[in-house]
Amino acid sequence: MRGDFPGDDPKTIWRSQSIEASTLTLEQIRQKARELHSKTRRELLRTLAGPLMVAFCYVFCIKEFPALQKVLHPLFAFALVWSLAGVYFLNRGKWSGPMPGDTGFSAGVEFCRREIERRRDHFRRILLWWFGPVLMAISAIILGLVAVAGKEVFTKGMPFLTLVVVWIAGYFFVVRVRQQRDFRREIDALNAIEKENSR
Amino acid sequence: MESISSGQANQDALYRDALAQYGPSLERLASAYEADPEKRRDLSQDIHFQLWRSFLRYDARCSLRTWTYRVAHHVAASHVIRERRVFSTLVGLEELELLTDKGQGQIAADQRINLNRLSALIQRLKPLDRQVIISYLEDMDAASISEITGLSPVNVAMRIHRIKTVLAKGFHEGGSHAG
Repeated sequence: MRGDFPGDDPKTIWRSQSIEASTLTLEQIRQKARELHSKTRRELLRTLAGPLMVAFCYVFCIKEFPALQKVLHPLFAFALVWSLAGVYFLNRGKWSGPMPGDTGFSAGVEFCRREIERRRDHFRRILLWWFGPVLMAISAIILGLVAVAGKEVFTKGMPFLTLVVVWIAGYFFVVRVRQQRDFRREIDALNAIEKENSR
Repeated sequence: MESISSGQANQDALYRDALAQYGPSLERLASAYEADPEKRRDLSQDIHFQLWRSFLRYDARCSLRTWTYRVAHHVAASHVIRERRVFSTLVGLEELELLTDKGQGQIAADQRINLNRLSALIQRLKPLDRQVIISYLEDMDAASISEITGLSPVNVAMRIHRIKTVLAKGFHEGGSHAG
C-alpha cells in the first residue's frame, strides 16, 4: 500500500498533520456542563413557539371574524391543547435519548443506527406536534377569510394563499418526505451491516 | 459525599489519562469529521466534554483506548448526522470510487496537498466508513477497529481494503492529471 501513494503512505500523511492541541481545562469542561443545562432550558422555550403561533392566530381570528366565534373557539381550543401537548412530547422525545457520552458501551454501528432513528423520530414528532396545530391555526384563518369575504378573498388573498400552499408543499411534501426516505435508507443499510456481522 | 468526590476524582484522572495518551489522535479525528475550522473547534470541545462525562460510567470492561475512541466517534458521528440532515450529501464507497474517476486537480507532490486530499476524501465518507479508516490511519489493527465500530474483523478488513483502494485511486488520478 505504501507504494500506492505519492511520497509517504497514508498513515504517515495522516499523522503528519499539524494539529492544535486542545486547551480545554477541567474547569472549562465543568463550565460547559453548566452551560448545557441552560441550553436545555433555551431549547425548551423554543418549542413554545408552536403554542404561541396558535395563540396569535386565535386572537387574530376572534378579533377579525367575531361572527364565527362559535366555530373558532372549539377549533382553537383543540389546536391549543394539541400544541401544548406537543411541547411535552417534543421535549420528552428530545431529552429521553442518551448523549454520546453515555454510550461508551455501544459500538459504532449500533450507535449510528440509534442516532439516525432518533433524528427520524424527532422529525416525525415535529410534524405531528408542531407543524400539525400550526397548520390547523393557519387553515382556520383562511377559512375565516373565505367565510367572511366570500369569493373575493381568493382574488385579494391570492399572494398569501399561494405562499401558504408553496410553504406546505415545499416543507412537508418535498423536504420532509425526502428526509424520511434518506433516514430509512441509512437505517436499512446499517441493519444490513449488523445482519452481516451476526452471520 | 465522599464517594461522589472520589468518583469525580477518578473521572478527572481517567480523562487526563485519555488526553495524555490520545489527545493528538482526538484532534485529528475531529478534523476528519469537520472541515470548517470554527465548527471543528466546537466539535473538538464537544468530544472532550462528552469524553469527560463518559468516564463516570467507565468500568474497564473495555480498554481505555476503545472507550475513548468509541465516545469520540459517537460525538463526531452525531455531529455529522445533525449537520448533514440529508444523507445524500455523503457518499458510499461505490459512489466515492466513481467520483475519484472524475478526479481533477494538481499533482499531490507536496505533503500538505496530500493531506488535504486525504482529508477531503475521508470527509465525504459516511460515519461508519470514516470510523474504520480513521482508526486504521491511527495504526489500529482489525480487532481493535472491530471493537470500536461493532463490525466483524472480516468486515473491517474488507472495508479497509476497499477504502484504501479508493483513496489510492484518488491520489493517482490527481497525479496523472497533473503529469
